[in-house]
Amino acid sequence: MKREMIRIENLKKSFGDLEVLKEVNLNVNESDVVVLIGASGSGKSTLLRCINFLEIKNGGKIVIEGEEVNPKSHNLNEVRQKVGMVFQHFNLFPHKTVLENVMEAPVMVKNEDKKEAEKDARILLDKVGLSDKADVYPAKLSGGQKQRVAIARALAMKPDIMLFDEPTSALDPELVGEVLATMKELAQEGMTMVVVTHEMGFAKEVADEVVYMHDGQIWERGTPSELFDNPKEDRTKDFLSSIL
Amino acid sequence: MFDIAHILDVLIESYPLFMKGLWITLKLTVVSILIGTGIGLIFALFKISGIKILNWIANIYIALIRGTPLIVQIFIFYFGLAELGISAFWSAAFGLAMHNGAYIAEIFRGSIQSVDKGQMEAGRSLGMPYGLTMRRIILPQAFKRALPPLGNQFIIGLKDSSLASFIALSELFSIATTQGSRTFDEMTYLIIVGLYYLILVLLFTLLVNMLEKKLSAGE
Repeated sequence: MKREMIRIENLKKSFGDLEVLKEVNLNVNESDVVVLIGASGSGKSTLLRCINFLEIKNGGKIVIEGEEVNPKSHNLNEVRQKVGMVFQHFNLFPHKTVLENVMEAPVMVKNEDKKEAEKDARILLDKVGLSDKADVYPAKLSGGQKQRVAIARALAMKPDIMLFDEPTSALDPELVGEVLATMKELAQEGMTMVVVTHEMGFAKEVADEVVYMHDGQIWERGTPSELFDNPKEDRTKDFLSSIL
Repeated sequence: MFDIAHILDVLIESYPLFMKGLWITLKLTVVSILIGTGIGLIFALFKISGIKILNWIANIYIALIRGTPLIVQIFIFYFGLAELGISAFWSAAFGLAMHNGAYIAEIFRGSIQSVDKGQMEAGRSLGMPYGLTMRRIILPQAFKRALPPLGNQFIIGLKDSSLASFIALSELFSIATTQGSRTFDEMTYLIIVGLYYLILVLLFTLLVNMLEKKLSAGE
């Protein structure tokens, strides 16, 4: 049996009076790619942000690699080192070059030797196809290139899990492919991934499990073929017919 | 009244005296602005910390400074610190620093909050602690944005330093008033001292512009 990387039990999250997550249960095994789909406002991004504690849950359990994480008593900085995150708007550091962006956390958080970190960073940039952009500032990059740098930056901390929060939603259509290709490669290497996306092609091709969220709950889940070709719930059918 | 030849004569003649005043003004300005920037940064961080008591401290400090005239503050510092044996120069420097600090705190607060909140999230998601993310990611971007209003505040600070003449510090302005009343030629000395301030401000503006250009290079 594969190792369980993430287990979420009865997760609750509210913003004021608004209940965004209502008793969500989810588990993700090692090397699995789980794709979260659903309309905006369904809670999928919030769920993702709860997993690395950018949002703090109001109730329930979050277990990362077998250890329940309590935001009050755990050092969240250590947990986050194991859980990389890629954002919709890239959030690259604009005052640092591409190379410095990738090296920042390994050097400052893990106290890696600068030369070592630079070597690793260049390998990662090569992997995402941007070794020629190492000394460029983010402002000079296209959206697709920025997102690939962001992926390299997250990978530089050698995380066990990668979270993607609508990584292609802010991109021009012709740039989506290059980012998805990078993510697919990562999935094939066995990275455990949780991906919020509207790219159903990616979900069909790469996901081990697709999770449909609606109204702060997991409405239906299954393999891509179960969910896309043979959805059981009416809501799921409605959602799929509205986007496909 | 505006006899240019006469003004030039006095300008050349009084030059050594004014240089002494200029030196004190510059020292006073630089010291009070450096300390004021430090104070401003600390109180800006207090304000955005989200910790209630720190918010309160910062708000009270800023309200007190903004709500009272600088001249009152300078006298309070002068008489208060004199008892501790602190010189007129340093009490003026502290007074001006506290004053500048309140305004600089607001400048920094605004510029820190103007940095996209995704920057903090990106840092935190990489496992960087709050303080480290603030120092390495947020503040460098905030400083750059703060530079134009900071430059403005520095110019105000330079001109405000003339109020130190009230506590018998012989900076630029006090040289002008003492020389003016000694020679009964107040207007000439006031025009001259105005020129000194004008040149200082212009030079400083140039310096800030250069710094801005340099900092924005590359992005």
